[in-house]
Amino acid sequence: MAPVLPDFSNSVKLKYVKLGYQYLVNHILTLTLVPIMAGILMELLRLGPEEILNLCGSLQLDLVQFLCSFFLVIFIATVYFASKPRTVYLVDYACYKPPFTCRVPFAAFMEHSRLNLADSPKSVEFQMRILERSGLGEETSFPPALHYIPPNRTMDASRADAELVIFTAMDSLFEKTGLKPRDIDILIVNCSLFSPTPSLSAMVINKYKLRSNIKSFNLSGMGCSAGLISIDLARDLLQVHPNSNAVIFSTEIITPNYYTGNNRAMLLPNCLFRMGGAAILLSNRRSEKNRAKYRLVHVVRTHKGTDDKAYRCVYQEEDKEGKVGISLSKDLMAIAAGALKSNITTIGPLVLPASEQLLFLLSLIGRKVFNPKWKPYIPDFKQAFEHFCIHAGGRAVIDELQKNLQLSSEHVEASRMTLHRFGNTSSSSLWYEMSYIEDKGRMKKGNSVWQIAFGSGFKCNSAVWKCNRTIDISTDGPWADCIDRYPVHIPEVVKL
Amino acid sequence: MVSLKEENLVYGIKISSIGPGRISGSDLIHEPNNTDLAMKLHYLKCVYFFSGEAVQELTIMHIRKTMFLWLNDEYITCGRFRKSESGRPYLKCNDCGIRFVEANCDKTVEEWLLMEDHSLHNQLVYHQPIGPELIFSPPVYIQVTRFKCGGISLGLSWAHILGDGFSFSDWINRWGLLIGGLKPNALPKFINSEEGSKIPAPIIGKELLSLKRVDPVDDLWVTPNNCKMETFSFHVSPTQMSNLKSKVSGDKHKFRSFESLCAIIWKCIAIVREGFEPKLVTICKKDPYTKGGVLSNSQIISAVRADFPVMDANLDQLVTLLVNQAIDERNVIEATVKTDNGLSDFILYGSNLTFVDLEETDLYGLKIYGKKPDFVYFTIQGVGDEGTVLVLPGKNDPGKDVEVETGRFVTLILPQDVMLKLKFELKNEFSIA
Repeated sequence: MAPVLPDFSNSVKLKYVKLGYQYLVNHILTLTLVPIMAGILMELLRLGPEEILNLCGSLQLDLVQFLCSFFLVIFIATVYFASKPRTVYLVDYACYKPPFTCRVPFAAFMEHSRLNLADSPKSVEFQMRILERSGLGEETSFPPALHYIPPNRTMDASRADAELVIFTAMDSLFEKTGLKPRDIDILIVNCSLFSPTPSLSAMVINKYKLRSNIKSFNLSGMGCSAGLISIDLARDLLQVHPNSNAVIFSTEIITPNYYTGNNRAMLLPNCLFRMGGAAILLSNRRSEKNRAKYRLVHVVRTHKGTDDKAYRCVYQEEDKEGKVGISLSKDLMAIAAGALKSNITTIGPLVLPASEQLLFLLSLIGRKVFNPKWKPYIPDFKQAFEHFCIHAGGRAVIDELQKNLQLSSEHVEASRMTLHRFGNTSSSSLWYEMSYIEDKGRMKKGNSVWQIAFGSGFKCNSAVWKCNRTIDISTDGPWADCIDRYPVHIPEVVKL
Repeated sequence: MVSLKEENLVYGIKISSIGPGRISGSDLIHEPNNTDLAMKLHYLKCVYFFSGEAVQELTIMHIRKTMFLWLNDEYITCGRFRKSESGRPYLKCNDCGIRFVEANCDKTVEEWLLMEDHSLHNQLVYHQPIGPELIFSPPVYIQVTRFKCGGISLGLSWAHILGDGFSFSDWINRWGLLIGGLKPNALPKFINSEEGSKIPAPIIGKELLSLKRVDPVDDLWVTPNNCKMETFSFHVSPTQMSNLKSKVSGDKHKFRSFESLCAIIWKCIAIVREGFEPKLVTICKKDPYTKGGVLSNSQIISAVRADFPVMDANLDQLVTLLVNQAIDERNVIEATVKTDNGLSDFILYGSNLTFVDLEETDLYGLKIYGKKPDFVYFTIQGVGDEGTVLVLPGKNDPGKDVEVETGRFVTLILPQDVMLKLKFELKNEFSIA
């Protein structure tokens, strides 16, 4: 018992020291201002009212000077308020819930794989190993066309898939927010791999009869981080257009992209990508301030495309037999870690409390000046954020980020459970994760949420949201019928 | 040269899978009992024909959706077979699903049913045997064929190891209830090896007559045949049935239609196979004590041996033999399969000349939007060389009035050389076939 106690008491002492340091540095301004203000107040009280009036009179201001100063103050205030960026509110969002007829149990996925890849049983074995360790569950979904043997990857089937996902989720968004189609000023649709002409945003405009002067955009080829790129684009547009609503639709239409060859690096997406989509309503209207769920605080985008290895690590190309697939390189995790580092270097100063920033600065100086072998100090992001939404790209991605950011399993629970229930739904996965946190009743007013997404390019994008009001558990979200079963324990290897 | 008869009338095949809409559970297993394992080389094939306005509105999407809901409780049929360490097959209920096939045909249902060759119905059932990869072989296939008139046919291939014809019929009828918006009230349960109908305790050592051991088939569950088997079917109208019964016995109501038909066909086959007449036959019938709502192989399997020459026998004599001297073999089957823990391979249908009484199945009970099928065709895949005769109900309900004669539909599965001569014999002597 004796050796344990000192460690315990040491760690407790350390904890209090740390807390004390954090309180001191984070509230340094308050702590220095309070004594100064107290001093001034004491002085004023000591002087007495007549002395103060004498002091004011001795300044000898005449009317013109007084008016000029007064207008100067007004002018400065106006410039300040006019140049302040418009607040962007997230009013609400709706995630697509696939019907039970689209369900893909492991056994069915493997059997279809075996029938589709009749000539390469080794590839089937490989896919089985991936699936066993993937962290996916038995309720993920494929679009209807991919349930056929062989999969139906025609343009018609892809459009049908897009219509199913987009229109269902859009209808849900309209219902939740009471938004009228005619009130949409900006429409952004992002879907990386399926980009028909006319675009998917044109498809939405056609279906819902949106206004002819709508600002519509269609982002394709930008990978799983395109959702946050759309948010960034919408934010910029909402600075230019006052009093506007922006609808963003993030999805990935996987129908045309089921890989039918046997190159192992290209078989991975088949195992992980699943059907999903999310419709988000952003607004800069002051009237939305009360009912909006979140306020957008920061968006930070990092692009590592200058590095050739990063550029090629998620690469769509033809294999030796001419079949098109997305090749994932073995360096993916290392490149992702590097991209993350760049991103947090930029976002750190924006969100971290002063205590963490000071420690990081000291550690940086120490490493540069004294000893390069010192371990770099990893800022504690748990101080800045209550909730984390890490793109559910795969089990390895979540594990890597949990390790790098030193997060607990509760912090990454939303990501892991989304991967289990819905699979990798690409750019919309962040919204399923938000929905999980809300439906667990954990989202309280004032909470900060950090969304991180990685994507081809190689990009790492983050968005920071502040919760505007405590959010009730929903009855119609994608988790409504299964939230009580979560969290589940996901074994390292599932026995198929 | 491809004759017109073999022309492919069905096109536009699209294959997918359907399964339970929700997770059935993890590590769920179903262990077939010994009688189930004895049936593993046989498959039932059944085609239901529906025409009419109501069916025209039934979309494939609606069929799929209702089937997903139906299969939530029928997860046994959605599993896949594996072999345990001892080599005994078991079923892993992993929600892998049923193979679902969509097809089209340019004939109307009426035109199709007017075609005399009933073996063409095989084009409406997508069938593959289980194996060689057990884990990727579905035990059940469903084919929905849309006809020119808007009517449909539902073709099912069912592995006999899951259950007999009576269980199968109940199973598909439960889907029919869902289409009609009703919920099936008897939820199917697993049937344990120890449960089931009242089979007496296995008796070791007694001679097994109805089941035959075959050479090992490994993982491809197909009945080995030494000759080419042919299928032929014919209707027996109520009038014809009445006449046949009078030929068997003066008193029309003394014997049931099934036994009368059995006797007639047995005698004719004996005549045709002069010198090699079948002295031993197997009879399969419904067990009236079986619980409904359960998938099981619990039909009564009995053996009948004739000590006298069959070709010269009186029909009356034959029927009496079939009714009174049938020995229930189920306990012997159970014991025999148990001796090597289900590792041997057996055949039932066709190990002897087999007669299957399907009159008491509710085949015409599968209703779509309240409408019964126009016609139901039923056959067995994987019949041994001795052949099998299936007696199916006619379309019309016999009702409570036993005085009213109803028709039958008879399917013969026999070696090619026997079939030709038998047809001739039946036509000449009894004006049927």
